[in-house]
Amino acid sequence: MSALNVSDIQHFSVGDGPGIRTTVFFKGCNLRCPWCHNPETISREPVALTYLRTNKTITYGRAVTVNEVVNEVMEDLDFYRQSGGGVTISGGEPLLQANGVAALGKALREKGVSVILDTAGCIPWSHFEAVLPFVDTVFFDWKTSDPVCMKERIGGDLPLIKDNLTRLLRRGTDVHIRIPLIPGINADTASVAAMAADLREAGAKTVALLPFHRLAVGKYDAMGLVYPFRDTPPLPADAVSRAAKMLASDFTVSIEK
Amino acid sequence: MIHPNTELLKNELCSPPVGSYAPHVFRAEGIRSHPNAPHGIRRAYSIASLFTAKPYIYKGDRIVGSIRSLWTEVTEEENRTASELAAPFSIRGFLHNGDHFAPDYTTFLTDGIPGTLSRIEASMEAHGDQPDRVEFLESCRIALLALRDRLTAYAEAAEALIGAEGYHSETLYEIKENCLSLCKRPPVTFPEALQLVWMIHNSFVCEGRYAMALGRMDQYLYPYFARDVETGKLTEEEATSLLENVFIKIYERRAYLGGDDVVNIAVGGVKPDGSDATNRLSFCILRAVGNINLPGPNLSARIAPTTPEDFLDECLKVIGTGLGYPALMNDEVNIAALSRYGYAIEDARNYSMVGCIENFITGMQPAWTDGRFDTPRFLEYVFNDGKGYFHPSAGLDTGSVSTITSMGILMERLETQLKAGVKEYVEGFNRANTLPCPEQYTSPFLSLFCKDCIGRGLDINMGGAVYPSVHGAALMGVGTMCDSLAAIEQVIFTDMAATVEELAAALKANFEGHEPLQKALLAAPKYGNNHDFADKYAVWFVDFLSDEFMKYKTRDGGGYYTAMAANVSNIYAGHTIGATPDGRKAGEPLSDAASPTYGRDTRGATATVLSVTKPDYTKVACGTVINQKYSPSMFSDGKRDKLRALIRVYFGRGGQEMQINATSTEVLRDAMDHPEKYPDLVVRVSGFSAHYITLARDVQLDILSRTQQE
Repeated sequence: MSALNVSDIQHFSVGDGPGIRTTVFFKGCNLRCPWCHNPETISREPVALTYLRTNKTITYGRAVTVNEVVNEVMEDLDFYRQSGGGVTISGGEPLLQANGVAALGKALREKGVSVILDTAGCIPWSHFEAVLPFVDTVFFDWKTSDPVCMKERIGGDLPLIKDNLTRLLRRGTDVHIRIPLIPGINADTASVAAMAADLREAGAKTVALLPFHRLAVGKYDAMGLVYPFRDTPPLPADAVSRAAKMLASDFTVSIEK
Repeated sequence: MIHPNTELLKNELCSPPVGSYAPHVFRAEGIRSHPNAPHGIRRAYSIASLFTAKPYIYKGDRIVGSIRSLWTEVTEEENRTASELAAPFSIRGFLHNGDHFAPDYTTFLTDGIPGTLSRIEASMEAHGDQPDRVEFLESCRIALLALRDRLTAYAEAAEALIGAEGYHSETLYEIKENCLSLCKRPPVTFPEALQLVWMIHNSFVCEGRYAMALGRMDQYLYPYFARDVETGKLTEEEATSLLENVFIKIYERRAYLGGDDVVNIAVGGVKPDGSDATNRLSFCILRAVGNINLPGPNLSARIAPTTPEDFLDECLKVIGTGLGYPALMNDEVNIAALSRYGYAIEDARNYSMVGCIENFITGMQPAWTDGRFDTPRFLEYVFNDGKGYFHPSAGLDTGSVSTITSMGILMERLETQLKAGVKEYVEGFNRANTLPCPEQYTSPFLSLFCKDCIGRGLDINMGGAVYPSVHGAALMGVGTMCDSLAAIEQVIFTDMAATVEELAAALKANFEGHEPLQKALLAAPKYGNNHDFADKYAVWFVDFLSDEFMKYKTRDGGGYYTAMAANVSNIYAGHTIGATPDGRKAGEPLSDAASPTYGRDTRGATATVLSVTKPDYTKVACGTVINQKYSPSMFSDGKRDKLRALIRVYFGRGGQEMQINATSTEVLRDAMDHPEKYPDLVVRVSGFSAHYITLARDVQLDILSRTQQE
């Protein structure tokens, strides 16, 4: 069994699914979302971040065995049980390491721990097939329904993503569709309408909105990069509720903060 | 929504009384009025004249009793003579079991003033052949009648104010009726019971006692609350509003005299029979404390496995306002810890807290005392031939550093130092504690609220209390010690990166010229990350020191407890402690209370919880403080459930206490730069909360440096 390329393991994650979770961030991503909140996970190589305020350097990226990850996440078993939580596998794009995800998912399943897979879905279907037996829920990001935006600004393949989502929903997987609502990308009414149409076609019933925030600025600074969204103000509340309202006629909508 | 009266009261507290605060002038009056009476009786009269000073009723008062009576215009001459005359009649302070006490309100409310008077008289009769006891009981009678006179005086004052500008006649009428009824019979209604409790509490404050607890209000007031609610006389909103009117007055002391009072109130937990004690009044108290948003009512929530989830959720909502109240206490651990000291199980279960977090057998033992025991000092002795680097105190000479060739030898020497330190501490305290002769400092009023002083005819400090006095030694610096020992084990004895002599030299030089070694020490495993390598020393710390203190007794045969708390003394203790092997430089604060060193627990809240629950806190009978800081968003609907789950796990694994600040780092930083913008910002400091802008800068910085979880 080859090692997993992991960026970081974050305990007490409270924004990555129900209950108290541990999030395992996999390294490497095949998309380049300009608003990315976890820029340190994009490269497959280790990345050192030096936080400006504390002058502390943390290196993200290490090779670990499935067993090592399991041992670390199992420290928090009591918390998962008490809160209905578990482990979230995120990234990066974890499905770039589908075999590793499958092995980790299998090991956690055997220990009775719930597993959520968080993916952007731009990956051959065979990768999903490898991991689906070992995950309870899939968090599926839906970033845009504009094929040009997807191709040119994000670097993804919209038909492939849509096909994967459709298949997941058809086979009855517990899928949570999450739309990061990003100004200038997908927050305008036309974009929201287009996303609604696509998601309806794919057979979605629920969507969650994740309004844009600038919390990632510190990470970009620490990497010596300029965050393209550094001067973008947070979405006004009415833009979020407008999007929610538009989607509400077709889906059960929640807003995650 | 705060009642308009309480809002009014909040404004009235902004205008301080005129004249000077002169309790001694009133005491002197009582002392002079009985020139030939025995000392104990004159003491009682000195209290009586304090109680019958001119009443003060606020326009916003619904429940009365104020310390404003003790301000008066006084000539310099009278001020001086009264001071001299009153001095021998003053109360004893904290070192002498003078304050930090949770009264037995249950018995007093049941008996009322007339019933208590009958008990005193019956006991006088029973002890007819023991003049000392009869005299003491007579002093109790005088103090009790003074309380009655105080109520009468307030009733008269209320009546006299009817029609006065700014006062509500109806409210004044209610005040008058409540006060008069209480003179004649035990309380029947909730407002009467609350009035009686407040008048007693305020009388303690008039006596000059500090940190007097209100204790288990949701228990002793519940019968009155329940009856009134059942008969439709009272709603929960009305009860909450009356409680607010009382709690806000705790703030009188800071408003007029400076310095917050720390009036502990315990809600929830289990009853003496072990069943769950949470009731609707527990919720009202929580909300009232949350609504008034002032430091003073130091609210503690006892959390048992049986505590309803909605109650714990309500606690988190109040904490989420940023107030830092209530502190969350693990009932199971506290009861188990107290049980080691031989209390009857029902008495242990009926504990409440005094002052910050100190566990107290409600109304059954002399008032509390404690002190600080800063542990890293003893490591200094080991490394510096029994001497401190800066501070003048000295330990044993346990031998040259060069002969420390293993972790085992180091631990042996450290234990030798600590043992001697504990002995020295106890001897020092017992000596100080017995210095003023108890006979000269009887406390007739306080004794009324402690079982079984009336029955035995003995003062609370002379054998009247059911249980003897106890003392808490607050062990400071567990994080500093734990990280230091782990760093030595790692760097010196595992990696062999430096010799023990090099380490000693580096410590002495405050790491100047030894920066690489300091860096290696800082990189060693730290407490709070769920690594046994470091955490095992915290387990040792609690076991060894608690077992050691448990060997000793107080002057009257009570136990020595330990506390894992520091009450910001860790900051000041740090000033005199040299560099420590964890990489900390000289003068920096020691780790706070039972918490890992701030900023070093980096693996998230769950790892912190897993680490700090490793020690056996059932050996820590006084109590523990774990300061945690969570971002305000953790208290939003949805996320709060996760925090609640975390706390349940923490308590399930044997954590003893947790107190949480919910103010964001950004706000705290901004408040330091722009205090004028944050006059009302209340934060949890240690075992208490305070207005942030009133805190010393190093205390502000210490709070700021707490590891922010999520």
